[in-house]
Formats: sequence, C-alpha cells, structure tokens
Amino acid sequence: MILSDTDRKILHRLQSNLPLVSRPFLELSKELSLDEDTIIERIKFMIEKGFVRRLAPIINTQAMGREATLAAVNVPENRIDEVSAIINEYSGVSHNYLRKGKNKNIPYNIWFTMSAKDDEELHSRLKEIENRTGLTVRSLPTEKKFKIGVRFKIY
Amino acid sequence: MTQKKEDSDVKLIKYIQEGLPVTKTPYKDIGQALGMSEDEVMQKLKRLLDAGKIRRLAASIAHRKIGINANAMCVWKVPKERVDEVGKFMAGFEEVTHCYERPIYPDWEYNVFTMIHGYTDAECEAVIQAIKEKTGLDDYVVLYSEKEFKKVGVRI
Repeated sequence: MILSDTDRKILHRLQSNLPLVSRPFLELSKELSLDEDTIIERIKFMIEKGFVRRLAPIINTQAMGREATLAAVNVPENRIDEVSAIINEYSGVSHNYLRKGKNKNIPYNIWFTMSAKDDEELHSRLKEIENRTGLTVRSLPTEKKFKIGVRFKIY
Repeated sequence: MTQKKEDSDVKLIKYIQEGLPVTKTPYKDIGQALGMSEDEVMQKLKRLLDAGKIRRLAASIAHRKIGINANAMCVWKVPKERVDEVGKFMAGFEEVTHCYERPIYPDWEYNVFTMIHGYTDAECEAVIQAIKEKTGLDDYVVLYSEKEFKKVGVRI
C-alpha cells in the first residue's frame, strides 16, 4: 500500500512533538494546511494499518532512573533460536537482532538492548542470561551520546 | 521531587505509553480517564519533556513499512582524542539516527557506534563512504541485521 502525499506530510510532522495545547491536531492543521478532521482520520488510518506503531511519549530510560545497555553475545549457529528466545523472555529487552559483519568478522552475533530499574537489576539479569546459556554476555553501555533521535526522512 | 508527584507521573506515562487518544482533545480525554484536569495533564507532560524524561511526544514509525528497509549498524575504531570531533560529525548525517561512544574490551576495539537507516543498502553505504573519506577513519565494521527477534519501544 502506498501512502498519499497528505499522509506523508502528516507522518513527517508527527515525528516531532505534538503541540501541548488543548486542540493539538487543530494546531497541526494550521501548520500543514489540512483540516483537523482529516488529520485525525488519517492518523487513525495509519495506526490501524501499522504505518505508525504508536503516537506516544518516547521515554528516556536513563532520565526515568532506569539503567540500560547494549549487550552482545557470541552464539553458536545451532543455538541461535534457543538463545534469542531466552533473551526475549526479559521484559526489559527492547531490541534483539542477529547481526553479521559485512566487511569483517566480529566476535559477536546476537545484539540486544536491555533496560532495568537500576544497575544492580541490569547486571543480575545479564548474569542470569550467562548462567542460563553458558555464554559470555558482553555489556557495552553508552559512554557518550552524540545523537539519539529516530526521525526518518520521508519522501 | 516528592514520591507522590513521581507516582502520578508514572501513572500518566503508563496510561499513554501505548498511545495517546487520537481525538480532538487528547489531553482532556487522558485527564478524564485519570481524574486530572486537562491543564494538569499538559503541565505534567511539559515538565516531563523539559526534564528530558520524555524525549518527544511523537509518532513511532514502522520504518520498514514505509520503505525504509535498510539499516546498518556501523562501528568505528576511533582514537580517544578524536571521539568528540568524529561523533559530532557522524551525528550530522540525516541517515545517522543514533551515534554513541561505547567501551572497548580486549576482543572488541570499536568504540563509536552509528545506526544508519535508509531506503536502500546503497544509501547506507554512501553515508559510510562519506564518513570514511571525511574523517580518514578506515577501521570499521558494517553490521546488517539478518534477523529481528524483538523490536519494541521502551516502556516503563
């Protein structure tokens, strides 16, 4: 399915903050030269069809007092499904991917992000994954952020 | 911040983290559900945004569904004294959605991580080439995702 230019225009704008005013979509309608009802209807459509996952607060885990890390594991080829399923069981896991180096071999293949209520909980969960799988989990927490803002170019 | 205030912030976030009501007056509707006034909801959200606890009140897009099919994680070996300069430069690309410095280990010497999203692999490769040429860095690994086991937004 192809989105219309109107949908793309709305989608592009929706990646930035929704105005904190009583009628936020009326505000957007002025910015985008569309009417409020159309904007509401198109957003509902795009949510229903899965183009928009959700229109919601994007939470800063660390600022909310939570701790997070990117973890990497070297999983033998024949255990990938088993180990990724164990990792997925943890509710703090938001991303979990099998990745391979394209131009070079690297020592890890499963990459996941995990957050927990504090450092202690985070490390005990990583330790638990190590114990359950018998594999070493390498934790690569952020030391410095240069950019975090998943906004896509929409054309 | 008092415990009570924190709790009502958490209550608000938990209520809206799966999605705001898409109605003419979403803040009023949230307030009605939680026993708060529209103003209280807006003020709380403003405070959470100002404090950086909420990065944005915005749409999360199913990027693959709109044709942004390529994503590369590119990791770079950057000398410590160049991390700031290079990190800022990389972050300047529109296609670079995340750029972080991370620790190194004896078996892992790539300290700067970039996530690159594009409509095609070629678009991602072009960004990597541009970074390589402009920074002179040549020790890097491009990692494409071969399988997605889980991808959800962060919830509290």
